[in-house]
Formats: sequence, structure tokens, C-alpha cells
Amino acid sequence: MLKKTYDWIDERLNITPIWRDVADHDVPAHVNPANKMSAFVYCFGGLTFLIISTQILSGMFLAMYYVPDIVNAYNSVKYISDEVLLGNIVRGMHFWGASLVIIMMFLHMLRVFFTGAYKAPRELNWVVGVLIFFVVLGFGFTGYLLPWDQKAYWATSVGTQIASTVPFIGKYIQILLVGGQDVGAVTLTRFFAIHVFFLPAALLVLLALHFIMIRKQGIAGPL
Amino acid sequence: MASEYGKERIPGTPRHRIDKETRHGTEPFFPNFLLKEWIVGSVFLVAFILWVIFNPTELTERANPADTSFIPVPDWYFLFLYQLLKYFPGEYVTIGTLVIPGLASLALLLVPWLDRRKTRHPFKRPIATGAMMLALVVMSWLTYEAHMQHEAALGKLPKQDSLPTIKDTAIIDPKDEGAQIFMNTCAACHGQDLKGKVGPQLLGIGNKYDKEKLLETIQKGFPPNMPSSGGLQDPKQVEKVAEWLAKQKQK
Repeated sequence: MLKKTYDWIDERLNITPIWRDVADHDVPAHVNPANKMSAFVYCFGGLTFLIISTQILSGMFLAMYYVPDIVNAYNSVKYISDEVLLGNIVRGMHFWGASLVIIMMFLHMLRVFFTGAYKAPRELNWVVGVLIFFVVLGFGFTGYLLPWDQKAYWATSVGTQIASTVPFIGKYIQILLVGGQDVGAVTLTRFFAIHVFFLPAALLVLLALHFIMIRKQGIAGPL
Repeated sequence: MASEYGKERIPGTPRHRIDKETRHGTEPFFPNFLLKEWIVGSVFLVAFILWVIFNPTELTERANPADTSFIPVPDWYFLFLYQLLKYFPGEYVTIGTLVIPGLASLALLLVPWLDRRKTRHPFKRPIATGAMMLALVVMSWLTYEAHMQHEAALGKLPKQDSLPTIKDTAIIDPKDEGAQIFMNTCAACHGQDLKGKVGPQLLGIGNKYDKEKLLETIQKGFPPNMPSSGGLQDPKQVEKVAEWLAKQKQK
């Protein structure tokens, strides 16, 4: 039955070559933790992607209740934590996941750095990886404000003030981020839009490039 | 090999194409390797969920732009940048905000072009390895410093709950001259009901301190939030407030 369904689709769309490209390749022995225990360092990239996936999922569920305006934001987060079924777990996953993404991504980067895997011909993949790092830091910075509690408000006030000290364009960066002089209603909607529309779009494109490149180039050989 | 590929339409595990003797440890990505990665991922996820369950996420008070006594601190992964700024005050601030982080980011982006030799083993390229180790040490140290300085700053804040809970909330002698002065100035931070707002609770302060001690404390203040003498100009007024506060012996 499953085979018949697959055949029916394959006759029309010819998906087998695509499938082969994505999944049907050999993984070399030196990155296989089942083969050598110390190869677990090669799992960091996959685990980063796993946590990014849980961030996307938990974020989508949070968006079902979260309201991005200064009157309701705090209350909606409180409601998620106190009333919604498993809401505290979903919020906890999104909160702690943010730190976990940074940790795993940093470890992945150190692994790539110390094994010299960024060297020719993989320079572009390193550059895309660093860009992903910056985008993820952007997620952290914009997500921090959304609960609209004291911690969020004051950290963002200081953060945007720091941005405004950049010579020449500083005050324009501040206006772009804050939407005025002080952190307020516009800032919240802006950070929300950046957090759930702009950055995810950038992240998905960069991740796609990252993965396409590793399929094209393969994993760097053993040291 | 290619002809064998054509025979299986659904990519499963073409085990027959692996020569176990010559390619020891090599595995097809799907499904063999992916299943093993999923085992690692599952263990990781279970640990993550357990951590989330036992470490509930906190929500502080609702954002209050009027309350400037809150000591802001960024998330832990921005602490090293935050700490860096503290070493470049005033007109040098752009060194901390732009120059150093900009150069570091650029160096990170350009790593493949800064280190172009073919050799890959970390011990065979001491400059690259050393530079990254140095960066790690500096970042850890900056993060640690920022954390310790934040803890110290928190420790200096007046303790909000240094007094035991007071049951009797009636204010003693509200007609007193000191009370009038207090309500006009100090109450902005300590509350009309003495229960504390920005500043700590003062209800029952008389149980703990006598007039002399209170006078001394008010005169000193708690910089930066409470100015010395609480901002009062006239020492006689300060004395009256201290006298009145010493009477606050609630149970």
C-alpha cells in the first residue's frame, strides 16, 4: 500500500532522485559515534538544528496566546504560564531553548574551528554559519523584550541605548529599533515583527544554504 | 553500483553495497546513521525537558518605565559584550560598542582567509588554535566579571524584606510634623502606607532602629537611589522624620 502510494506519486513527480540526493549517501566512519565514542562532537550541529526546530515549534504554540501590545503582553505571558495546559512547559522550552541553541551552536562552531573544517573548499559554509550565529543572537536580543516585564524592559532600554552610541548611524539604528526616543508600544510590536517574521525568514534561508552546501561538499575528512 | 541503485525505488538501506572489510564504520545516512543520531537527539531532548520542568521560567514585575531603580542586565550570552563597554567610558565608548566587537566579528567571518594553509590538526596550527583559546578565556573572564559585578550591585540594593512581616499596619502618630514631611517627600519611594515601593518597607522600622541610628542612616542615604538626607535640605526636618520613624513600633 505504502509502496503503491509512493510509486503513484513518483510516476508523476519523479521524486526518487531528490530523495537520493537528500538521504542516500554514506556517512564516513570518523564522524560516526557508534564507531568511535569521541565522534560525538560531530553531533553538535545536528543537535543545534534539533533545538532550533523545538524553538520554532514552541514559538508557534506561544504565538497562539501571546499578544504583542504593552497592555496585554505581560498578561498574556502570565496567562500562558499559569492557565494554559502545559503552557509553562512550552514557555520554559522556548526560554531555556534560547540559551541551549547558543550553547550548542557555539560548541558546533568550536568543533568546526579546531578541526579546521572551514578550510578550502568549505569557506562559504563557514561564512554562512557565522551569519547564522549573528541571526540567532538577534533572536535572543529581540525575544528578551516580548514578556514585557521589568527585566525585559530595562535590558532592552540599555541595549538600544548602546546601539545609539555607534557614530553617525547610531541614532538611526535606535529609531529603527525603538521606533522613537524611548522603549514603548512601537518597540514591542517592532521587536515582535523582527522576532517572528524577519529573523525566521533569514534563518531558514541561511540554514537551507548551510545544509545544501554540506550535501554538495560532504563532511571534511579525518584529521 | 549505479545499476543497483536503479533497482530499489524507495531509498532504504542498500546494505549489500557496503563492503564491511574495506569501509569499516561507514554507514548509509538514511536510515542507519539518522536513527543513531535520533537516539542521541532523544536522550538530549529528555534531559532538556527534565531541565525545563525543574527550572520554571520566571516572570518579574510588569515593565515600569518610572522605576529606574531596577538594575538591568542582558542575557548571559551578551554579558561579555556588556562588560567590555564598562572599560571604555565617555568618549571612548565607540571602541567598546563598535571597534572591538566589529573587528572580532569580521575576524570570525574571515577565518578561512586568515588561516589558509592546508594543515588542519589544531596542534599543527598554533596561531589559530591559540587565538581561539585566548578569545575563549577573555570571553569567560568578561562574563564572570560582569556576573560578579551584577551580584555586588544587587547586594548593595536596600533589602526589601529585611523587616519581619508586620500584622498591625496602622501608622503611629500620623499627625506628627515628621509624618507630614515624610508624606510630602519620602513617601514617593517608601509609600504613603510605609509598605515600600521603590524603597524598602519602613513599617515597624522602630522595632529595629532607634532615633540616632535612623538619623544616621537617612543622612547617609543609599546612593544612587536614595540621596543623602533623602533629598531634604533642612537638617531639622531630617531629625523630625527620624524621630517619627523611630515611633513606628508595629507588631
